[in-house]
Amino acid sequence: MAEPIMHIRNVVKSFTRGGEEITVLRNLNLEVAEGEFLGIMGPSGSGKTTLLNLIAGLDKPNRGEVWIGGRCVSTMTESQLAAWRTRNIGFIFQFYHLLPVLTAYENVELPLLLLPISSQKRRDQVLNALDLVGLSDRMYHRPGQLSGGQQQRVGIARAIVTDPTLIVADEPTGDLDARSAVEILNLMGELQKGLNKTILLVTHDPRAAERTQRIVHLEKGQLLESEEMQAAGLMAPSDSFQAKAQG
Amino acid sequence: MFTRLYEQIAADPINLAAAIITLIVLVAGAAYIVTYPRLFMLGLKNLRRHFLRTALTSAAIGVLAFMITTIWTIIFFIDLITVERSKDLKIIVTYRWSVPSQMPITHADYLNPASSQFLPELVDAQGNKLYGPNDFMTWSFYGGTTDPAKITPDTLILFFVMEPEQIIPMMDDLGDLDPKLVEALKDKPQGCLLGTDKLKALDKKVGERFKLTSINYKGIDLEFEIVGVLPDGRYNASAIMRMDYFNKSFEQYARANNGRAHPLANKRLNLIWLRVGDRDKFDQIGSIVMKSPRFSNFPVKVETASSLVGSFLDAYRDIFLAMKFVIVPGMLVIMALVMANAISITVRERRGEMAVMKVLGYRPNQVFLLIVGEAVFVGAVAGLLAAGATFAFFNLRWGGIPFRIGFFPVFRIPEAALMWGLAIGTLTALAGCLIPAWTARSVKVSEVFSKVA
Repeated sequence: MAEPIMHIRNVVKSFTRGGEEITVLRNLNLEVAEGEFLGIMGPSGSGKTTLLNLIAGLDKPNRGEVWIGGRCVSTMTESQLAAWRTRNIGFIFQFYHLLPVLTAYENVELPLLLLPISSQKRRDQVLNALDLVGLSDRMYHRPGQLSGGQQQRVGIARAIVTDPTLIVADEPTGDLDARSAVEILNLMGELQKGLNKTILLVTHDPRAAERTQRIVHLEKGQLLESEEMQAAGLMAPSDSFQAKAQG
Repeated sequence: MFTRLYEQIAADPINLAAAIITLIVLVAGAAYIVTYPRLFMLGLKNLRRHFLRTALTSAAIGVLAFMITTIWTIIFFIDLITVERSKDLKIIVTYRWSVPSQMPITHADYLNPASSQFLPELVDAQGNKLYGPNDFMTWSFYGGTTDPAKITPDTLILFFVMEPEQIIPMMDDLGDLDPKLVEALKDKPQGCLLGTDKLKALDKKVGERFKLTSINYKGIDLEFEIVGVLPDGRYNASAIMRMDYFNKSFEQYARANNGRAHPLANKRLNLIWLRVGDRDKFDQIGSIVMKSPRFSNFPVKVETASSLVGSFLDAYRDIFLAMKFVIVPGMLVIMALVMANAISITVRERRGEMAVMKVLGYRPNQVFLLIVGEAVFVGAVAGLLAAGATFAFFNLRWGGIPFRIGFFPVFRIPEAALMWGLAIGTLTALAGCLIPAWTARSVKVSEVFSKVA
């Protein structure tokens, strides 16, 4: 296995709702190798999105540390995090979250505007990213003129355009029809293989999870590997994706 | 125009503040566009996205800026003429016991340094007169109509009756008058200089003649030849004629009436102006004039131009105070609230976008700047356009705001008003958008996406 690019050590995250403290993540530990395609599954409310937010530096743990690419994310200030995210994190959302007033080209260009690069290089990177997701012919369309699948491709292009250390995808197929979902998953697989990107995929969708190299389950605030899930009786062997794949 | 703009900035702290704000807005705006051209374009696109809202907000700001520019023009002008200028301080000598002032023409001789009857008290121990011939001016007012059957503002002309050589040294805002106009007036006894609006109302050209039937000196009807046009500005609705022509008309009246003088012949001098330079000279010369026995038959009083106008405008004092300290500030608050309302709605709708921008690496301050930039752009542009529209609408149509107060027929909107519009648009937009922009800056990404999902 390649050298870990991400370490999560003893992370605890809790929220206070209605005066009651709810602990979402309990002493969570995780390591992800460079170039790994990791699937994170779990029931609703298990803390998957919270975990992604901590990894992307969008939220801070109550305890523990998140290290990515040799830097401790959990101790950075908000401004430091913003600058760090531009270069290190590509985020793919379930609902795409493209800016409706901008064209596909401009949406993809948005994170690059923060980097000190020439306009020519910026243009090259945007065109390359759009080419990788197969949307070169739609670059001047606005989100409202694109299908859901195409919008998600733009979202993926925006996530990879800065060549980030880590791509974080939160239910990227959750809002798509089956065919579009397959196309998006194919695309993510190709990116991971072709560009050797490290991808964390949070999903409910077993078909999506099948595409990953390793799956972890978030259960009661802690991560379990698929084998551990089966051993604990939380998942029948017949439900496992590996089993499905074999069957 | 730029000379006048410079003078207006130098004369009034509000204009100076507006000029500084305008400069800051232009420099900061240019820096913003150069530094973040794409962010600026994004802001413009965001404004265009809800075009109706942007247009309505701009219209509301524009209407209020229009009103404020109109009101402030009047306040500005009144302040300008009622605040004493330390330089160029002038005494006005008028009849003590009645308004309007009516004095014998001989009063001028006692105060005219070029006259043999000049008061000896106004000469110091070294034999120097306390002021020179170029510091002295007399005014009579002659009003008449071109159409006695139809007396309207367009047919009425009010003349400043004075010596031509006193125009350039003594008349406010006419120091730069072309000396050829003065010479032309000197050459023609019946000559007159007309303001542009009057020339237009009469539908006459330079060189043409017209007759007036007097409305304040009954029986003294005069014919004039237009020898020139007064420069565009505060004298647009005024006119200047020669004192000697005016005086001779009274002699002619007496000849035509068997030696009987005109009833107002001995009261045809209205004001005497003396430039004294500073307050000490004002007190010294004022005291001499007040005590002089020469004026005992027709007692006079002395005051500054500002105090004369100020006492005349006393009746309007409460209205002006309300305009200055209640209506204008109230409108500014409304402008800020209009902007706050529009930007609050925008920020609430775009919380998701703010969060996405933060995820992509935009710093909180950049998100803040984006919102502030959008608001300030709308405010500054709407304010500038509204002030420009007010300037063009009133000045081109009527030569100013036709709000007649006593002897002020119109209030010309100063060039500095363009800066007022931009400054108040910017400042109110800034005040209105700060809290919503701070809300956008503080958007917590995890909370936004947890709600979206």
